[in-house]
Amino acid sequence: MRLPLVRKIQFGFSAVLAVLLVVGSVAYRDLLASAHSERWVQHTHEVLEHLATLQSAIPNIETGYRGRALTGAETSQSSRASLALVEHEEMTLRALTVDNPGQQRRLATLAALMEQTIRLDETLVRLRQAGGPKAAAELIQTGQGERILQQSRAVVSDMQVEERGLLLQRGADAERRRRQTQAALIFGSVAGLLIATLAAWRVQREFSRRGRAERASLESEERFRVVLAGVQDYAIFTLDPHGTVISWNTGAERIKGYKAAEIIGQNFSCFYPQEDIDQGIPQEALRTAAANGKSATECWRVRKDGSRFWASLLITAARDASGNLVGFSEISRDMSERQETEAKYRGLLEAAPDAMIVVNQAGKIVLLNLQAEKQFGYHRDELLGQEIRNIIPEGFAERLIADGTRTAAEALAQQIGTGIELSGHRKDGGDFPIEIMLSPLKNAEGILVTAAIRDISVRKDAEKHLLKTVGELKRSNEELQQFAYVASHDLQEPLRMVASYTQLLAKRYTGRLDPDADEYIAYAVDGCNRMQALIQDLLTYSRAGTDTRSRREISSEDALREALTNLRATIKESGAVVTHDSLPAITMDDTQLVQVFQNLVGNAVKYRSPEIPRVHVTATKNAGNECVFAVRDNGVGIDPRYFERIFILFQRLHGRNEFTGTGIGLAICKKIVERLGGRIWVESQPAKGSTFYFALPQGEVP
Amino acid sequence: MTDSSGNAGPLEVLLIEDSPGDVRLTREALKDAKVHIHLNVVSDGVEAMAFLERQGEFSNAPRPDLILLDLNLPKKDGREVLKDIKESATLGNIPVVILTMSASEVDILKSYRLHANCYITKPVNLDGFLKVVQSIDSFWLSVVKLPRERR
Repeated sequence: MRLPLVRKIQFGFSAVLAVLLVVGSVAYRDLLASAHSERWVQHTHEVLEHLATLQSAIPNIETGYRGRALTGAETSQSSRASLALVEHEEMTLRALTVDNPGQQRRLATLAALMEQTIRLDETLVRLRQAGGPKAAAELIQTGQGERILQQSRAVVSDMQVEERGLLLQRGADAERRRRQTQAALIFGSVAGLLIATLAAWRVQREFSRRGRAERASLESEERFRVVLAGVQDYAIFTLDPHGTVISWNTGAERIKGYKAAEIIGQNFSCFYPQEDIDQGIPQEALRTAAANGKSATECWRVRKDGSRFWASLLITAARDASGNLVGFSEISRDMSERQETEAKYRGLLEAAPDAMIVVNQAGKIVLLNLQAEKQFGYHRDELLGQEIRNIIPEGFAERLIADGTRTAAEALAQQIGTGIELSGHRKDGGDFPIEIMLSPLKNAEGILVTAAIRDISVRKDAEKHLLKTVGELKRSNEELQQFAYVASHDLQEPLRMVASYTQLLAKRYTGRLDPDADEYIAYAVDGCNRMQALIQDLLTYSRAGTDTRSRREISSEDALREALTNLRATIKESGAVVTHDSLPAITMDDTQLVQVFQNLVGNAVKYRSPEIPRVHVTATKNAGNECVFAVRDNGVGIDPRYFERIFILFQRLHGRNEFTGTGIGLAICKKIVERLGGRIWVESQPAKGSTFYFALPQGEVP
Repeated sequence: MTDSSGNAGPLEVLLIEDSPGDVRLTREALKDAKVHIHLNVVSDGVEAMAFLERQGEFSNAPRPDLILLDLNLPKKDGREVLKDIKESATLGNIPVVILTMSASEVDILKSYRLHANCYITKPVNLDGFLKVVQSIDSFWLSVVKLPRERR
């Protein structure tokens, strides 16, 4: 049965009610009939009682009659009483049996008989009075009186028989009705019970079936509801057939500003502007949806705070299984958000420092920013819809085209994230170097390409300038190098002459000239010697670290050992003790490392305090992947304010009579270490020894 | 082929040097030499080759027993002179001592590749110079047996 539950329940209860009504009316009717029968039975019993009284009164009349006949006495009191009783009973019975013509007739007969009796009695009395007892006896002997009384008794007996028959008939009648009522009641009750049970069973079954279906649908509904409730971008809510809000999702709350508790129960027309409400548009929308199944429109909607937004909405009618309209659902979207997004995108485009041009796959310009207008010298309208080729003649459009080996998307993907250097063409005909970065932009029309275009004229110029400057620097550096070498080398030649001949002079003529001449010659020789030392050092310095070709993995311990070998005379002479930890293998030119060690250890021994020189060499790796060597001594130490100065070429802290040397050693060390990308520094305090550090980067070094 | 010590005539040494100062110093240094040395001097590479090949004014020049060669020479560079000598079939076996200011590794290496017999950097002071010349004297002219051709 496809009837809805309510119908089924109504039907069942109607059936039960009908049965109960039938049973009740039948029972009531039978009850009335039964009462009627009972009354008749009662009536009959009453009649019988009166008949019994009458029957018993009749012999008294006879007895009185016989007595008077014998005695001649006047009619006795008792006889009269009996007659009155008979008359009374007769009257009562006449009233009681008024509905029974047979009895009435009998009563009439009885009355006639009683009349005869009375008259006979009067005759008897007269006879007795007139004729004496004999006359009376004769009359009695005629038996006239006895016959009358016998007839009376017979009449009463007939009446009794009649009434007994009636009693039987009426008792049976009442009994039949009683049974009938009982049967009707039993049948009605059973039928009612059966129907009610059936109805209850049907209803129960229906409920459990519906319960299962409902649970299943509730579960799927719950899942659906959770999904809908979570939708942020769309307002999704349901309405009853009158437009009253029944449910409300997160998106609706976000877009319209109402909380579910505030809006559920309200009519959805409050989302419409007043003028639309006045025109009946909300109801019209529902009517359309009800008639067509749905109604899709774009219109203004109003938020809780009164602000308006342009909404795209779809109202769908919801109907139950039997096709009755149960309500509506509305899905709506705030279109101004999309416009806002577009506005944001445009804002972003305009805020970009580069020219931004959006191009479709056909190579046509669909969007551009102010920078693009400026860079290319066109007005926006002149470029929109134009070929990108017009402003970037080569290299752009080609990159977007699909061919046999790649799709458009792949073609584009190959370009993403890499700067492509191309040439831009201005409206005035001028070309300028550009760098473009491409990124895809998917939209409804397909893939668009956003190109960030940077005018790199300045950078190109700067690059050129930089290259030129670097070239110049290199050249000047080379020239300087060459100059230092040539100068020192060529200076050395004449100097050697001066030195050699002053020395020859000193050798051959010392003591043969006067003492002044000897002194002069001695100063000349000394000056020459120092000059030669400086030039030698300058040459060494200019050569130091220039040859980086022979870099390889070397043992720094071997380098130190070689340096110590070179220094053995100095070390032996000073009695110095040089120790070292285990030193690592590093990548560099071994002669250079030897040179550095030799200078540092040499200095440590040279600038010694009165104590025996103790020099200790260590090496550690630091966090920056550098190998840090330390040469620690117990020498004279250095005032911190000279820490920078000691590494400068020919800078000396001591007088020539204190310590010899030109001041080249540390400058050479610094040059070598820095050429290798390293650093050199010192930590020291006067009279407390010094520690010279140099850090060399490990791994790839330019 | 005779032992230099057993040779009656003086040793012929060709000094190819453009600096008169050095020539004089060399002469001074050789004054104390143990052997009798005849020092022939030319001042540039072209002249040196003319001397060695006995051309022009040097048609009567002696064949040197030893050549002292400066690398930096006018007209024809010392390296070219060295190359020519060593490639020549007749001159190739004359010992050549490079005597120069240059202490550059490149020069040294290049010279040895060109079969220089000895490379000596001119010491910057007199004593050193004297010692070098004297050691050349004792080493090359006294100890080493030199190939000689009959003149």
